[in-house]
Amino acid sequence: MKVAMITWEYPPRIVGGIARHCEGLAKALSNIGHEVHVFTLDFPGAPNYEEKQSIKIYRTRSEVGHPNFLTWVLLFNHFIEKRVASVSQTVNFDVLHVHDWLMAPSSIALKHFTKKPLVFTAHSTEHGRSGLHIPDSFTIDGVEWWATYEANRVIVTSGAMKGEVCGHFQLPDKKVEVIPNAIDLGKYQGAVDRWAVRSRFGIQPHEKLILCIGRLVPQKGIEYLLHAVPILARRRPETKFIIVGDGWYRDHLEWVANTTGQRWRITFTGFVSDADLVALTKSADVLVVPSVYEPFGIVALEGMAAEVPVVASQVGGLTEFIEHDRTGVLVYPRNPESIAWGVEYILSNPDHARWLAQNAAEVVQKTYGWEAIAKRTSRVYEEVIAEAMKK
Amino acid sequence: MSFTPLPPVPEEFRVLSMMHNIGAITPERSLSPDELAMWTGIEVATVKDCLQRLRELGYVEQIEVSGVEKYHVTKVGIMKVLTLYS
Repeated sequence: MKVAMITWEYPPRIVGGIARHCEGLAKALSNIGHEVHVFTLDFPGAPNYEEKQSIKIYRTRSEVGHPNFLTWVLLFNHFIEKRVASVSQTVNFDVLHVHDWLMAPSSIALKHFTKKPLVFTAHSTEHGRSGLHIPDSFTIDGVEWWATYEANRVIVTSGAMKGEVCGHFQLPDKKVEVIPNAIDLGKYQGAVDRWAVRSRFGIQPHEKLILCIGRLVPQKGIEYLLHAVPILARRRPETKFIIVGDGWYRDHLEWVANTTGQRWRITFTGFVSDADLVALTKSADVLVVPSVYEPFGIVALEGMAAEVPVVASQVGGLTEFIEHDRTGVLVYPRNPESIAWGVEYILSNPDHARWLAQNAAEVVQKTYGWEAIAKRTSRVYEEVIAEAMKK
Repeated sequence: MSFTPLPPVPEEFRVLSMMHNIGAITPERSLSPDELAMWTGIEVATVKDCLQRLRELGYVEQIEVSGVEKYHVTKVGIMKVLTLYS
């Protein structure tokens, strides 16, 4: 099958989970025999065309810009549309697969131009991410609805997201397929020198490392973890907190950290390399995922794969792969006291914490590898192609 | 427990986003503070203040072209911008 994958984020252009999701899926689809063509935006230093592990990657520069985000998005869609259309003159794609709304306008046009079925993966919704409070949000929400309407099938990564898109966009149940996210299981299998990593990030041998990884944006709920710091400091004085990631909300979060009276316990690292991300995850005593909105929550899955006990908010997709007190600890969202309880529960019961982490790693190994996810995605492609042939 | 309402996006971050959206993401596409002020509709003095802070944070880089200071978003800056939309 020839697949055109259309995504605004693809490595090395990485921000949240979409780039990693697309890369993992593209590799796995290629491994099971599909011809995958990825269309994405340019990134300084990355070639405008390359073949990597049989995946053909086309990076396109938007020749015209605009300071307004939405105008810029619509402009780059034109250049992407042109690139895919050009390649489609020589490659007869079987299916188009677009990730998130940002590439939806070009993908919808290409669906009609190539007369090929369109699959749309909704990684999140504007409604869920930030609510509909400014004109741009309403437009983004409209584009998301348009994509779900035009797509032959919509893929979401959790049952919670299925409920959200079916309810908000009024989609029929059968149009939406739940295929969870996956992770590269091999990434967490190598050994790391835990003590050296901890020392490099300022953690003393007697201290406990509480790790939080994510974009520094409101929906990740990091301020609730910060408000839990003084509570934990009273109960477990040996705790230290490392917040990995960056985002527009960072200044505010650093201000919140300053108000806790425990600023010295908290380190904001900004973005770190992939190698450091894995090393830190494997070296942590607890991984906290305090999100208030989380369609899936791949960071928690990565923690589970690394055999680190996970404390996560009881929201969205997190509740679907974390079983409370068997594969992790679920706590109330927006609730610092509950987060503190979850962390303390892990730190106070090391044997139980190890058991939780081992159970979690087993679940991830069995269910969340890319090969299984690629096969399920492939079945969706086969279905939409067969349905399109009947029309 | 009550929490403060969401703060507005900081001014320098708005400038960074606009620089990214107009394509100033490589040395050859760098723009001067005057050009950035025209593109964004923000006062030159404000643009200069923002550029100073963004440079300190590593989100923009300054180069000199024919004696004129020009600025472009760094790779880390691009990733920072994308957090707003991702």
